[in-house]
Amino acid sequence: MTSSTPQRTNPLHLVAAFGSGCLLTLAIFINGEAGRYGGALFSSWIAHTVGTVVAVILLALIWRRQRAEAQTATVTYGQPPLWSYLGGVCGAVTVMLTSTAVNSPLALAGTLALGLAGQVVLSLAADFWGLLGLPRRRLDLRDAGAVILIAAGSLLIILFGLGAA
Amino acid sequence: MILPIVAAFAAGLLVILSRQVNGRLSLSTTPMISSFWNHIIGAVVLTVLGLALGNFIPADIATFPWWIYLGGAIGVVFVASGSWLITRIGAVNSTLLVISGQMVSGVIFDLVRGAPVTVWASALGVLLIIAGMALTQRSR
Repeated sequence: MTSSTPQRTNPLHLVAAFGSGCLLTLAIFINGEAGRYGGALFSSWIAHTVGTVVAVILLALIWRRQRAEAQTATVTYGQPPLWSYLGGVCGAVTVMLTSTAVNSPLALAGTLALGLAGQVVLSLAADFWGLLGLPRRRLDLRDAGAVILIAAGSLLIILFGLGAA
Repeated sequence: MILPIVAAFAAGLLVILSRQVNGRLSLSTTPMISSFWNHIIGAVVLTVLGLALGNFIPADIATFPWWIYLGGAIGVVFVASGSWLITRIGAVNSTLLVISGQMVSGVIFDLVRGAPVTVWASALGVLLIIAGMALTQRSR
């Protein structure tokens, strides 16, 4: 895909993404507790196993619509490349890396801050070059401003806000 | 010290890589179907790893609180929403807005459960984040 689509963010996207971030806080807390009881590998394994079962149940409930939607999507975008089924491998590796980092002198704050840097760097590159079959997106000053403000705010919270100073 | 730094940074890269890969699968299928594949492949990889390392299922699993199993259910919705978002607003906007939600809810969560929070830094951080979120809504 080489087109540079002017994808604009509307309030529905904002609410959905913000809500998704709230869910992430909850999931990280719960999986962290699961890790405290049974270790990092167990925590990630149980999250992925329960997740598989829940995904099957949800898909079964709405299968007719999902199948129709998927068929239309395949006609539009073609068969998915084989590598696109491997997103789950990333998730499994992420858990190992994170638990290595958290249990080092970096602790939770350092791990979060560096992870945030990694996320920002790769998403800038992904939009700029249109990596991995997703559309390229023109980046402008507005994007730079949003990156700087949100990264600065997040680092302030991670490094100074959480935990007593 | 260099190893944990690389590990933490790489973990951030992988968060985006998986959203990008799942997003590509969702283009040709649906975000829910993509989330299903993400979880089953992850479960298979972790099961193989667990079996290789041995006894990864704790013996006292029956005594764990019931709600530790909810993380996976939330994860399914989270991964599906990530695919839905990245194919609509791109990687940078998805990353920024999800992080915003995570940070602001994290501060509220810690305040509610009485964990220590440094108010000035958290409040200033939330303000900067809200300003950044407003910028993502400005038309060009």
